Amino acid sequence: MNQRPDAVDSDNPLVRTLVAEMGGRTQEKIIGEGLHNANTNSDYLNRGQSLAALLTEKVGAGDSAIVIAAGPSIATSDPAKHIKAAGYKGAIIATESALRYCLSNEIVPDLVVTVDPRPRLVRWFGNRHLSREQMEADRWFGRAGLDSYFADEMKANEQVTRLVDKYGKGIRLAVSTSSSREVIERALEVGMELYWWNPMYDDPDDPGSVTARLQAANNLPCVNAGGNVGATCWMMASAVLGKKVVAITGMDYAYHDGAPFGLTQHYRELCDIAGEENVGAMFTRFFNPYEQSYYYIDPVYQWYREAFFEMIRDADCKTVNCTGGGSLFGEGIEYLPLTRFLETHT
Amino acid sequence: MSDVLKGNFEPKQSVQAEEKTISTEEKFEREAMKRLGGSICFVSKKKVKWNTPE
Repeated sequence: MNQRPDAVDSDNPLVRTLVAEMGGRTQEKIIGEGLHNANTNSDYLNRGQSLAALLTEKVGAGDSAIVIAAGPSIATSDPAKHIKAAGYKGAIIATESALRYCLSNEIVPDLVVTVDPRPRLVRWFGNRHLSREQMEADRWFGRAGLDSYFADEMKANEQVTRLVDKYGKGIRLAVSTSSSREVIERALEVGMELYWWNPMYDDPDDPGSVTARLQAANNLPCVNAGGNVGATCWMMASAVLGKKVVAITGMDYAYHDGAPFGLTQHYRELCDIAGEENVGAMFTRFFNPYEQSYYYIDPVYQWYREAFFEMIRDADCKTVNCTGGGSLFGEGIEYLPLTRFLETHT
Repeated sequence: MSDVLKGNFEPKQSVQAEEKTISTEEKFEREAMKRLGGSICFVSKKKVKWNTPE
C-alpha cells in the first residue's frame, strides 16, 4: 500500500498557514530558553560525556532498534508486552515521556532521550518538589497523550518518582544542552549516565549560524532533533547508533477519531487562535488504511509529520512504523504490527 | 541630494496614512500563535554535525 505523504493534508487555509510557519514559530519560541539553558548547563557538562562516546559503546545487540514514544496508542498497543515476550535484544530507545511506561513494564531502555527546554519536563523523571498548586497551574500533563495514567497527576508523579529512583541509576540519557536545570539535576540525583549534545537551532553550515557558535563554545555534537523528542530518538538510532532498521512505537502524531478535542495537547492554544466555536476546523480528519480507522491531526502534529517524512527521505536506515495507528504511513515507511517486526528482528 | 531622497514633489491632495488598528482579539490570537509550536527546532536536510570546524 503506497499512500502519499500528503494524504492527511488540510483544506483549511489557516491550518496550512500555521503548518507552514510552525518551524519559524518553534525556533522563536525555543531558541532563547534553549541557549539560556545551554549556558547554565555548562557547569554540568563535566558530569557526563559527549554524545560522541556512544559511537564506541554497544547500545543493544545487532543492527535494529525500537523507539518507544508516549503517544496515545501505547495504552492500547502495549509495545512493552510484545517486546518482552519476544525477548528482543536490539536497542530500545525511549523518549523521556515514555520512561514511566517502560519502567513500570520492567523495561529499562538502552537509551533515553530528552530535548525540550521547559522545566516542566522534569515531571517525566518525577518531580520531588511538585506541589498541588504547581500541578493545578500547569495541566499540560493531563493532556499529554491522553494518558489516563495522568488523571491523578499527583499520584502519577509519586509513582514515576519511585520508579526512576529505583531504576534510574546507570540509564544512559542523551541529554540536550537545551534541557532545563531541573531535568539535569534530577537525572544526576538518580545516577543516570549523561551524554551531552546540542540540538540544531539552524543550519550549522550557514554563515553566522547560532548552532555553529554554540558548538564552537562547547565542542559537542549537534543533532537535528526533528521538532520533537520522538523524532530525536529515531535520529539517535539512525544517525548516531547507526542502526539499519528502526521500528517506531507510540509515535502516533494524531488522535483516534472520537477522542475529545478538549483533551488534546494543543487544544487551548488552538482555541485562542480560532475561537472555541471554530476549533474543530483546526483538526484534520483522515483515514489510516492499514488500521481501517479514522484519526485526526492538529497543526503541530502535521508539522511533526512533514518533518519526519523529510528526515526519512535522507536516512540510511529502514523505518518501520509499529505504532498501530496514527498518521505515519506513506512512502518511505513500512507499516507493520510490532509482533511481525519482532518475528524477524530479535 | 538628501532632499531628493525625501521626496521632490507635493501631492495635490494631502494623503493620510490609514492607521492599522489591532483589536484586542487580534493581539490575543497573535500571542496564542507564538505559544503554538513544537518542542524543538527542525533543520531541513541535516543529521548530525560531529566536529567543531577547525
